[in-house]
Amino acid sequence: MTHKGMSRRELLGAAIAPLFVSGLTREIAAADIPQHIQALIVEATGGVTPSRGKVKLTLPAIAESGNSVPLKLQVDSPMTAESYVRSIHIFSARNPRPVIARFHLGPQSGRAEVNTRIRLAGTQEVFALAIMSDASAWLGSTGVVVTAAACTDEKQEQQRNDPTPRT
Amino acid sequence: MVSSRSLSRRAFLVRSAAVSGGLMVGVCFPKAVLAKKAQKAAAALGPEVTAWVLVNPDDTILIRVARTEMGQGSFTGLPMLIAEELACDWKQVRAEYASTTEHLRRDRIYKDMLTGGSRSIRDSHEYLRKAGAAARTMLITAAAQKWGVPPAECTAASGVITHGSSKRTVKFGAVASDAAKLDIPQDVPLKDSREWKLIGQPVARFDIPDKVTGKTAFAIDTQLPGLVYAAIAQCPVFGGTLKSAAADKISSKPGIVKVVPMDNAVAVVAEGSWWHAQQALKELPIEWNLGDNAKVSSASIMEFLRGGITAKEAPVSRQEGDIDKAFTAAAKVVEAEYYAPYLEHATMEPQNCTVYILDGRVEVWAPSQNSEATAALTAEVTEIPVSKVEVHKVHIGGGFGRRGLVLDFVRQAATIAKAVPGKPVKLIWSREEDIQHGYYRPVALVKMRAALDATNQPTAWYVRQADQSIFNAVRPEAIKNGIDSIGVRTFSDAPYAFPNIRMEYAMRNTHVPPGPWRAVAHTHNPFFRECFIDELAVTAGQDPYQFRRKLLAKATRDLGVLDAVAKAANWEKALPAGVHRGIAVQDAYGSYTAAVAEVSVSDKGELKIQRLVIGLDSGYVVNPDSVRAQVEGCVVYGLTAILYGEITIKEGRVEQSNFHDYPMMRIAEMPKVEVVLAPTGGFWGGAGEPPLAPLAPAICNAIFAATGKRIRSLPLKHHDLRKA
Amino acid sequence: MANARIQVPASLSQGEVFEVRVLIRHPMETGLRHNDIGQLIPQNVIHLLTCRYNGVEVFRAELFPGVAANPYVSFFTTAVASGELEVSWTDDGGQTGTERASVMVLPRS
Repeated sequence: MTHKGMSRRELLGAAIAPLFVSGLTREIAAADIPQHIQALIVEATGGVTPSRGKVKLTLPAIAESGNSVPLKLQVDSPMTAESYVRSIHIFSARNPRPVIARFHLGPQSGRAEVNTRIRLAGTQEVFALAIMSDASAWLGSTGVVVTAAACTDEKQEQQRNDPTPRT
Repeated sequence: MVSSRSLSRRAFLVRSAAVSGGLMVGVCFPKAVLAKKAQKAAAALGPEVTAWVLVNPDDTILIRVARTEMGQGSFTGLPMLIAEELACDWKQVRAEYASTTEHLRRDRIYKDMLTGGSRSIRDSHEYLRKAGAAARTMLITAAAQKWGVPPAECTAASGVITHGSSKRTVKFGAVASDAAKLDIPQDVPLKDSREWKLIGQPVARFDIPDKVTGKTAFAIDTQLPGLVYAAIAQCPVFGGTLKSAAADKISSKPGIVKVVPMDNAVAVVAEGSWWHAQQALKELPIEWNLGDNAKVSSASIMEFLRGGITAKEAPVSRQEGDIDKAFTAAAKVVEAEYYAPYLEHATMEPQNCTVYILDGRVEVWAPSQNSEATAALTAEVTEIPVSKVEVHKVHIGGGFGRRGLVLDFVRQAATIAKAVPGKPVKLIWSREEDIQHGYYRPVALVKMRAALDATNQPTAWYVRQADQSIFNAVRPEAIKNGIDSIGVRTFSDAPYAFPNIRMEYAMRNTHVPPGPWRAVAHTHNPFFRECFIDELAVTAGQDPYQFRRKLLAKATRDLGVLDAVAKAANWEKALPAGVHRGIAVQDAYGSYTAAVAEVSVSDKGELKIQRLVIGLDSGYVVNPDSVRAQVEGCVVYGLTAILYGEITIKEGRVEQSNFHDYPMMRIAEMPKVEVVLAPTGGFWGGAGEPPLAPLAPAICNAIFAATGKRIRSLPLKHHDLRKA
Repeated sequence: MANARIQVPASLSQGEVFEVRVLIRHPMETGLRHNDIGQLIPQNVIHLLTCRYNGVEVFRAELFPGVAANPYVSFFTTAVASGELEVSWTDDGGQTGTERASVMVLPRS
């Protein structure tokens, strides 16, 4: 049931994280991207640091339930044999499983655009990573507010101040 | 800043409403008239000093409210938080709802719009007080700049800024425009609670006068030119779907606009009146795919729950010490099983929603506890960008948790509106649809066992819950190890000092949709727990109040409110013949509550609740009048459920349909309620739900004292209370 | 809708880039939900979706539980010749599915 690459990702994360972080601070605010997403990005790009741009990720600014949120991905690319999008990866900052989907394209795609519907477990940032035929990598992201999650969000119940032991 | 059409109209409405002190919504004027009025209004309205506070040239203040007023008093209480720091004259304050469109356009500047979980005050007090403090600082700075003096030499009170040494004064209104141009300071230090002048004072509520005179326009009151009405029938068995609806049988009747089939429902849209649509709906031949759930009954559900009790193992929610050893060594063992049924919210205003799609924009009126969710859902269903969705925020006729999480009526109304383009549609659920298509307080069965040693000290406590999980239905990823963290409340966080504890949670999910009913798990779990503690006290031969005191020795806040209530109820004093007492204590939603009930039971078994003393420690109290009303409101809501509340299932569907078989308590049954507000400070707890928690056990414990009969299931109507 | 539906334009001209829209009926069970007695329902999602155009793979998607139930995916490809689009998928339980659509490609005028 586990997807292959999980342990490989952990390994990669450990080995490449320092490289990645220094690259990030040059081009993207590392603080914007959670650690576990950074590790997934590194694994996908094979260590190449992504730049911001070229990737347009369209999601509604606000979704009611997070059960089915329409997503449009567009990558700026001529999609010719010389220059095309090889793959697009979608990551969620807060879902229990951070990888949402990976799409594999080629020059015959003609246009680097994919539409789908995703699940979001609460308000969060969604990331889209495009890897080009020249191995360059581009990152886009957008935030979605999920209103229903707020209802049951354990916006921490007042912590009891009494010392009585409990779980 | 007042350029958008929607804001202008709202500004007009607020302006005219300001005179009467209320808030009028739901009235629509032709465009040309609107534009003219809006221009006039825009001129009269003062600038935003911050997004939350507008200060008008005539010194009146407009404070914006992000959450929804549903009778709990937030429409007044939240502005009080801002006004305290703002140092304005409260008599000059009016409140209006923040525009959802503006909120989204300005990056959710009004933060959380969800109203529920007794959170409005406790979640927003800090940022609201900071907003008030920031606005005050800006006004003072503007005045100081005008005078050419350091702002530190100026103070503000009652809407007037004074320069200490020169004694020059200026009113807020005169410096508002200048203040609005300044940067908003972040993190202005807030007053200490001892400096509060407004918070803690009883204040007349903004919403009440219009509600009393019938002026308040609820969503269900929406009137628009050309309005058409929709009545809906939903599949009677949960999970079933629509098979067919013979629209041709009614579509040629006069006034019928459309029949709109959906996955599990069908709506009839008619001109003239909702009654007309409803009558046509009754004549529409409908076939349902009822599905397997049509076999489910309350009896089969009980059997299913029992399986949870008898299952060999269940996930452990709490464990301390060694209960097996303790039970082996026990001198006395008490064992009991408790049960509570499904409950429906029965909001006075039934589910309804008006949606108007026109020219690529959509307006929606809905009794929603979360106007942001209303906007998001409307945008999703109509496929119109949320920036073009206008939510007309209104006071709602009761919420209780029914309309924060699930906005099924909004989804339906938007779907229907799409089917009748260009026409505003008002969907209303009949009371029958409302009762039978709720999101119910889940059913629960609990077995408990406890041990006393030779000196009557409690040594062990075992709990096995068979419980329906709300999280599994709405947010499954929140469940860890098979345990619904809300479902175990009052048990896993019980403050009683038992040396050996084992609590187990057997999730048992039926096809009946669960939802948060006012106080959620703090409705039945305290009944189970506090009645069982009482059973232990009786077996130990001890006074139930003293028995609890010893076990709560380290739980200072629970003990504090318990003591306050026992004192107010004169627990030590003898009662008149025929009157008996019961007590209970419970914490919920960040607050601590306790209750003493005094009851008498006639020889015929008629219960009379003579007196209820209910204590609440919510840390702070913003508007004591409002909090008292909330405690009393909890008594009405809670007592109704205790006396009569029961939703039963037959052939997969809810048997009850209206107030004849799902009755509300009557005024004559309302006992005398004494509210003991005992805020100890230092924390912010909720007030809307906690007071419900100790009611059922206090009353049932009193009934035991009166009759010798132990009540282990609700509602009381099933019990013969003649002496055991 | 039976198990799946593919939508392509009725007719295409040579070299035209067109959208293929796929909708599959599948619960995309996340593995986080619990059944009626509180046991975790095992994860079962469509994890692979491929599209072959006259036998040549033109699109591949790896899907995870974060994709909504009844997954909808649309992508683009170039009209090279008349023939058949074949969309195939596999889920965690080993079930497979296939749906086909004809494409008519007219020579560019």
